[in-house]
Amino acid sequence: MSSALELLWVEKYRPKTLDEIVNQEEVVKRLKMFVKAKNMPHLLFAGPAGTGKTTAAHALARELYGEYYRQYVLELNASDERGIGVIREKVKEFARSRTPPDIPFKIIILDEADNMTADAQQALRRLMELYSAQTRFILIANYPSKIIDPIQSRCAFFRFQPLKKEDVVARLKYIAENEGVEYDPKALETIYEISQGDMRKAINILQAAAALGKVTVDAVYKVVGLAKPKEVREMIMTALRGDFDQARTFMRKLMIEYGLSGEDLVKQIHREIFSNEVKIPEEARVLIADYVGEIHYRLVEGSDDDIQLSALLAWLSMLGRKLGVE
Amino acid sequence: MSLARRAAGKRLPWIIKYRPRTVDEVVNQEEAKRILSAWFAAWARGKPPSKRAALLYGPPGVGKTSLVEAYANQHGFEVIELNASDYRSAQAIRRVVGTAAFKKPLFGKGVVILLDEIDGIAPREDAGGLQELIRIIPQTLNPIVMTANDPWKDQLRPLRDLCLLVPFKPLSKTHIMAVLERICERERLYCEKQALRLIAELSQGDLRAAINDLQAIAEGYGRVTYDLARAILRGREKRVDIWRTLNMIFYAKAAWMAKKAVTQSEEDYETLIAWLNDNVPRKYAEPSDLHRAFDALSRATVFLFRAKYRTHWSLLSYVFDLIGPGVAFARREGAILKSKYSYPDRIKMMASLREVRRIRDQIAEKLAPRLGVSKATFKAEILPILFIIFRNSPSPIMAARLSLGYGLTREEVKFLAGPRADEILKLAEKIRRARKVEPQEQAAGASAEKKEKRRRRSRKKAPGTTLDEFFG
Repeated sequence: MSSALELLWVEKYRPKTLDEIVNQEEVVKRLKMFVKAKNMPHLLFAGPAGTGKTTAAHALARELYGEYYRQYVLELNASDERGIGVIREKVKEFARSRTPPDIPFKIIILDEADNMTADAQQALRRLMELYSAQTRFILIANYPSKIIDPIQSRCAFFRFQPLKKEDVVARLKYIAENEGVEYDPKALETIYEISQGDMRKAINILQAAAALGKVTVDAVYKVVGLAKPKEVREMIMTALRGDFDQARTFMRKLMIEYGLSGEDLVKQIHREIFSNEVKIPEEARVLIADYVGEIHYRLVEGSDDDIQLSALLAWLSMLGRKLGVE
Repeated sequence: MSLARRAAGKRLPWIIKYRPRTVDEVVNQEEAKRILSAWFAAWARGKPPSKRAALLYGPPGVGKTSLVEAYANQHGFEVIELNASDYRSAQAIRRVVGTAAFKKPLFGKGVVILLDEIDGIAPREDAGGLQELIRIIPQTLNPIVMTANDPWKDQLRPLRDLCLLVPFKPLSKTHIMAVLERICERERLYCEKQALRLIAELSQGDLRAAINDLQAIAEGYGRVTYDLARAILRGREKRVDIWRTLNMIFYAKAAWMAKKAVTQSEEDYETLIAWLNDNVPRKYAEPSDLHRAFDALSRATVFLFRAKYRTHWSLLSYVFDLIGPGVAFARREGAILKSKYSYPDRIKMMASLREVRRIRDQIAEKLAPRLGVSKATFKAEILPILFIIFRNSPSPIMAARLSLGYGLTREEVKFLAGPRADEILKLAEKIRRARKVEPQEQAAGASAEKKEKRRRRSRKKAPGTTLDEFFG
């Protein structure tokens, strides 16, 4: 249904085989040995975002089980599942399902495993042991140090490297040409500078820049600017100038147009106050961060988004008055 | 039933006798009439509107039930009516509403189901009844109309989301007086204008109360004079309504006065917080005053949350302190503004907020697994990119094709594209049609898809959370 139509390029150009994965030669070599042996231990993939961890897990499964590999794979995301209880239920159910014809185990991919609390990880460890006859886990983490030792010691460890500049630029070039997108070669380098070794981010920026027209250095910077709703900064500045009503209008507009929660917005404000575009004395940034933290805490306590953010904006307008922000 | 018996007797209550028979006779509710008539008209055309139930809300005695009855009377609808005491249990709802909801109109005569005082439903005891209503509404073949004084109660939230909300406002003194005068004429009653004015004033916008008062005086004394009205109605208890509560807070001279305003208000503290949240900036302008007032409200909600969810009800007292004296004495530097109070639009805003968040989650749910990221990462990293493609691109082509590629629904495209949605949806539709003309590609795609579906079906219950979405 969807293949002939447009997909997001991060999906469309996602490597399907281990060979297509760039710049992780060591990792790929070892994974291929598992394919050959049709066996593997539990695995732990660690490394920065956008270096191919999830992609490698899928490619590995595909090479083990063939095209319809997805039925032998349970994909969970620790940040999305509500607690270890839900994970346990899903794993239990999955372990009972049918096994592939010639491989004695199925695969459970647990993404963002480092977002689990230590207690949840302990429970996970027991799960891994309990179902080790039928399943293998591939744990994926940005920060392996956040994975408890007993789990680390049960897994084969794979470190994914940030992608090199030439690899990222070559991939972007390949995509741009394949899509018939006009581009300025310098722009691709700029994308690398911004995304560093994160391929997902790089491809996303490329696609958004292409949506704006020719991919130029300016277009790339425009994307970076647009990716943060400009109303956040406007809201902060308006509050600092003492116009509480207008600032609150911005706040409500942001929440309704982008569906942001109070917490999303507080985080964005927090990021924004350290930006050079917000022209305030340096010590004021610290003061603001302190109060933003207080408001964040009150939000986490479960109280009303609109009122907490109003309190923050009112405080900013008072501070702005004191600092004489124009 | 008591109504029929009374009607048989001689002394018909005037509120029944002078009940409006046509929509025109319902006074001072032009907006409600307009909304409700359009909604009924959709039903009459045989096309049920997207919201199949309407919730009429507003203070008592302003014409909610009367408007529905007048409309039905005028257009020959049959009204099937229940009031609070009739629909306690799920069973009762199923029996009465469930049956009526699926009744085919007889000889073209439509049916309206009217549930009065829906806010009288108890949160726990009657939960089954509410659940049943929520189940029936999306499928009903006949319009369901509900009335409520306070539609913002927590337990009504799921119901509210299914309903067209129709606000009724308190009637103006002039309108109430006009109705009273008409009744006096029809009853050939001696009435002093000043007396009617007093009755209207004391009724606080409640026409039913005013008519009852008028009848009480007239039947006792045969005439309605100012002195009689004052003597008889004087003892009537005055509620501290929201306007007075706000005044008592903003103009309090002492902390205890502001606190008393909160505890004596007819509004509960949550409603009061919502009102203050929207009205503090109408009274205070000085940033430091605003800050103190909002900080007090902010802390009040924290205490309220602790009181409610950790059931430390003794903490409520601090909530009152903060919303009363806390707001009252936040003003230290600036003058108090003269602006009028406004109704909080926050509650409406919360409803639309819930709606966009639902759509946003829905998109994340659909796309995140395909992109191999968590929903949180999707929202933080991918969604901004989609916003750029859908909102900032000079051409709608990429957005249109992505919409087709991911099978995005109308509401999802609307969320992503904002004002550009129509342009994108139109183009997507055009591309879709053009693709249909290429039968080869279509056929090839379809057969492969069918094969895969068959194959999948033959394996019972394929595991993997993303399988369905991937091939679906």
